[in-house]
Amino acid sequence: MATEEAGDSKGESALSSSANRSNQVPEKPNYALRFTLLGHTEAVSSVKFSPDGEWLASSAADKLIKIWSVRDGKYEKTLCGHSLEISDVAWSSDSSRLVSASDDKTLKIWEVRSGKCLKTLKGHSNYVFCCNFNPLSNLIVSGSFDESVKIWEVETGKCLKTLSAHSDPVSAVHFNCSGSLIVSGSYDGLCRIWDAASGQCLKTLVDDDNPPVSFVQFSPNGKYILTATLDSTLKLWDYSRGRCLKTYTGHKNEKYCIFANFSVTGGKWIVSGSEDNMVYIWNLQTKEIVQKLQGHTDVVISATCHPTENIIASAALENDKTIKLWMSDH
Amino acid sequence: MAHRGGERDFQTSARRMGTSLLFQLSVHERELDLVFLDHSYAKPWSAHPDASSARPTRMLFVTPRRQHESTIQMMDKHLCCVKYVWSGPISSPVYSESDVPIDVETVTSTPVPLYDNQKARSVMNECERHVIFARTDADAPPPPEDWEDHVNRTGWTMAQNKLFNKILKALQSDRLARLANEGACNEPVLRRVAVDKCARRVRQALASVSWDTKLIQWLHTTLVETLSLPMLAAYLDALQTLKGKIPTLIDRMLVSSHTKTGAAGAEALSLLLKRPWDPAVGVLSHNKPSKLPGSPLILIASSGPSSSVFPTSRRHRFWQSQLSCLGKVIPVSTHLLNNGSGVGVLQCLEHMIGAVRSKVLEIHSHFPHKPIVLIGWNTGALVACHVSVMEYVTAVVCLGFPLLTVDGPRGDVDDPLLDMKTPVLFVIGQNSLQCHPEAMEDFREKIRAENSLVVVGGADDNLRISKAKKKSEGLTQSMVDRCIQDEIVDFLTGVLTRAEGHMGSEPRDQDAEKKKKPRDAARRDLAFEVPERGSRPASPAAKLPASPSGSEDLSSVSSSPTSSPKTKVTTVTSAQKSSQIGSSQLLKRHVQRTEAVLTHKQAQVPISSEQTEEVEKEDLRVQLKRHHPSSPLPGSKASKRPKIKVSLISHGDAAGGACAPSQGGAPEVSGGKPVTMTLGQASGAKELTGLLTTAKSSASSEGGLSASPASSAVSSSTAPSAVHTLQSRLVAASPGNSLPGATSASSLLQGLSFSLQDISSKSSGLPASPSPGPAPQATSMKLPTPMQSLGAITTGTSTIVRTIPVATTLSSLGATPGGKPTAIHQLLTNGGLAKLASSLPGLAQISNQASGLKVPTTITLTLRGQPSRITTLSPVGSGAALSEEPAPQALPSSSQQPCKFRGAPVAQWLRAQLLNKRWAVRIHQPFLGNPVGQFCCVL
Repeated sequence: MATEEAGDSKGESALSSSANRSNQVPEKPNYALRFTLLGHTEAVSSVKFSPDGEWLASSAADKLIKIWSVRDGKYEKTLCGHSLEISDVAWSSDSSRLVSASDDKTLKIWEVRSGKCLKTLKGHSNYVFCCNFNPLSNLIVSGSFDESVKIWEVETGKCLKTLSAHSDPVSAVHFNCSGSLIVSGSYDGLCRIWDAASGQCLKTLVDDDNPPVSFVQFSPNGKYILTATLDSTLKLWDYSRGRCLKTYTGHKNEKYCIFANFSVTGGKWIVSGSEDNMVYIWNLQTKEIVQKLQGHTDVVISATCHPTENIIASAALENDKTIKLWMSDH
Repeated sequence: MAHRGGERDFQTSARRMGTSLLFQLSVHERELDLVFLDHSYAKPWSAHPDASSARPTRMLFVTPRRQHESTIQMMDKHLCCVKYVWSGPISSPVYSESDVPIDVETVTSTPVPLYDNQKARSVMNECERHVIFARTDADAPPPPEDWEDHVNRTGWTMAQNKLFNKILKALQSDRLARLANEGACNEPVLRRVAVDKCARRVRQALASVSWDTKLIQWLHTTLVETLSLPMLAAYLDALQTLKGKIPTLIDRMLVSSHTKTGAAGAEALSLLLKRPWDPAVGVLSHNKPSKLPGSPLILIASSGPSSSVFPTSRRHRFWQSQLSCLGKVIPVSTHLLNNGSGVGVLQCLEHMIGAVRSKVLEIHSHFPHKPIVLIGWNTGALVACHVSVMEYVTAVVCLGFPLLTVDGPRGDVDDPLLDMKTPVLFVIGQNSLQCHPEAMEDFREKIRAENSLVVVGGADDNLRISKAKKKSEGLTQSMVDRCIQDEIVDFLTGVLTRAEGHMGSEPRDQDAEKKKKPRDAARRDLAFEVPERGSRPASPAAKLPASPSGSEDLSSVSSSPTSSPKTKVTTVTSAQKSSQIGSSQLLKRHVQRTEAVLTHKQAQVPISSEQTEEVEKEDLRVQLKRHHPSSPLPGSKASKRPKIKVSLISHGDAAGGACAPSQGGAPEVSGGKPVTMTLGQASGAKELTGLLTTAKSSASSEGGLSASPASSAVSSSTAPSAVHTLQSRLVAASPGNSLPGATSASSLLQGLSFSLQDISSKSSGLPASPSPGPAPQATSMKLPTPMQSLGAITTGTSTIVRTIPVATTLSSLGATPGGKPTAIHQLLTNGGLAKLASSLPGLAQISNQASGLKVPTTITLTLRGQPSRITTLSPVGSGAALSEEPAPQALPSSSQQPCKFRGAPVAQWLRAQLLNKRWAVRIHQPFLGNPVGQFCCVL
């Protein structure tokens, strides 16, 4: 079910940004709530736009994956099959398949069109927490509470490599844009970069005071990585030199593995959920908070950006259980 | 390569400067050349004021520092941002963090690979395409995706289990690498590196069981039967790579499968495994190495006494054949006296130097006007330098020069090398242990001789580049080698052109060039008029009578296409050497050009033994042999013969293994066997099976073509013309060959083989069809079109071509029983082969020889009739089978489960985990649990 919003419930900085609309590079976005998607019966864990921009997939503690249409916010279908809560979901590059990571220690590959489960990837010995396709979508990487990272072949559903990656649960895994590297983050406070072809660890990023890493992601061009740590900090690293370039603060993130994102469709922003029930948007270059999106009634666990348009989807935990779509002019 | 087309202007100007295409593409100090383009008088910026004889260093594939660090592409977008810390090489602390603009979107454009990507990808997937050949039962359904679970391991021994698991792990890693590298811009190189790695692991695994014949044969059979197709392809790739390195061991492994799959499958498999593919296949063969002016003789100084126990390294052999594209190569090797007992190092060195020296003198006396180039690897380079101090040579090329000695770097005042006056080129590896580029510069300053230095980036003492270098820059060793070769050519061309001017022999050489063609013809006739020469024993002691053409200008002997293709392998034994030095010392170095007649002494140079590799290769093709009863000249067996093998394989047979009598009609040709034709007679055998062997020149008059099985008794004289032309084209049939050594041609050459695959499924027109049709005269050769589709073109090294499928209507390739050579004849003679050569990359050697350098001695044409079903052999693209799982409907949700779901805070899980571990207390936390702070308190 989707609720369409009137145009008046804009974000707090919407007015100030409209003044700068004439500028070539907008100072601030003016995201405003467009749709609220109701449907999940438990806390939502992850929302992801399909690469073709048509669909939004959401996973939740109700063991279901739901597909929503981005254009009108309409509920499309439900994929069910997991026996326990689902922590993460990811799209293949051609938007035809999904992979989901569940507490039932398995991953499942789904064909979106038919809604069928194609493969069940078994091998992790503990909850699977995060997953992603590589750009060619012939490999899947998954991180688990068994402290390992596994690489799977999509075609056969076989585990090709197990990386004894960390000494604590793995909170995030991601391929770079060329598919040659994998980054993994863990509660042990480390970010490791792996050669996807050989499974060798190429680099380890460690912060000074070693806070648990709750999220990590490559930048769209694969040159940087964005990390979130449980000291309410987001950092942008130049991983080739092991240098932290930017630090984004102001939000609250101490307990949950909250997704963060690069927004590159309009201005260049960093978008993240927060434990104060808001979505935060920073200017990537200046590190200023340019907008906060209010509306959720619980921790915003996931915020994601549309691949081509200025749309943000956010989802909140179980006091809220909703997914909200926000749109901006720039 | 779009890249190439755009730079045409640059290229042509580069040509003028004598640099090669690859060199242009490689990373080097390009601005240097740009200055030269406009200001040829300008002194290079790197020229040393004190060392006028040292030419500026050339860097090959040496990545400049600035490219390492900077991300120049970023600047394209922000042209004003040159000062950015980010894009510049200097990470200056002057700029604060916020000054740094960050571009998270722009993807760095990847460099265009230096090789032909399409072709490289085609050869890369060769094993995948032909994976079915390995299957014993081709009709059986391919193993399912979950084949691993179906492997029945009952009855396996511990060793078998262990070995199988090891191989499996290697193959799985390879699979991961394949998938991860898929679509990468330099995928072929990455794949090559990955396959090499997989091959290494397989080899290690096999070595761990000491290559136990029983075990490895079991392993091979099991793998072939059970592996899924993609995995099997990976396994074949590994085998292919290993086959090139350890052929006998791999053969031992494959024996059992051969008996099961039948000869056809085995043949196909062995063809597939023949040589590892190389990503650079296209670009190297398209850009053939150029010949040197003045047709110099290239003497290769060995870097140690030769020994049967330690044969020369593969790399040196490869380079020897590479160099033979530039001119006539004469390797000089020394044997240990008394089997090495009681011979000191110094003595040994003296021997080595003496051997080279005597060879130089000998050549001077025989070919007074020939420029001599000394080339050596490592120690051999030093030997070459030393000889150049003592004797007159035109130029010296030092590959992997060992500058650093036990006593420190060379170049002290008492170093004899400082007295060198011969122009010298040093080629060193950037990461060489025995040399250092900077120390080399110091050394070069002190040499009075004109000298050049080429530094190969990331290369070792043997000029091999590292794996990381290959990966990061998309290079292959073959490309690097070619660039080095081009550098050598570049240097030698300069030196030789000048030397030519000095000697004033230029007009003569030009004359020789002009005369080439008519002489060819003359020689052709001559060859067949002197059959008696064929019976000449080729024993080392043989004394060669002055050849009929001995009165010809000597320079033409070497520069003419007919004689020079052969690579001469000459071994100067120490016994002979002493006497030769004595006598040849009397000879002046610069003898005026005379119409020299060969002396008997020249003929005394013994022929070195045949290369084992060559033999091995032939052994591979176990083929039906039928000897012709009437062998015209049985006595000439001892002579080394260049060979042309033509084997016709029907793929239908290969796959099905059954005889196809309808195809044949020729009783000798059973379905599964390769149908081959034999030219030649030196062995006296008309080998119907398919060795098309041309005898060496002396015997060529008897050369016959018995292509048709029906006419196995066709006397060779009925079809001489084919052989004649063929030989004069392909084989050094020149009676003018002065030295017997020159006839031992094949030692250096790997041979060249290509398959002509017929995809038109015209198997009905059997190659050896007995029907005497005039049709065959119309040879229809459609070369390039189907090449791409089926085209597995592989050159292991640039001399070697592996499989070049050519669509040819088989019927046209047949030979009529009349003994009239038809298609093959035309193919090989009427410009057909030349056409083939020029149109097919990698056959460069054949066309090369036509213009006078060297010829590959073994040419294998494999003509394959391929039924259309083979096209179904495309890489296994079976879509993911749907393993449907019934979706459980609306399970009762229980949020109370102690699960770690993203919605649960971190601390909850950690705490539970820790508590579990330490006190075995299970705590059920609510779904949204306690924050980290509480967790810490508990601890």
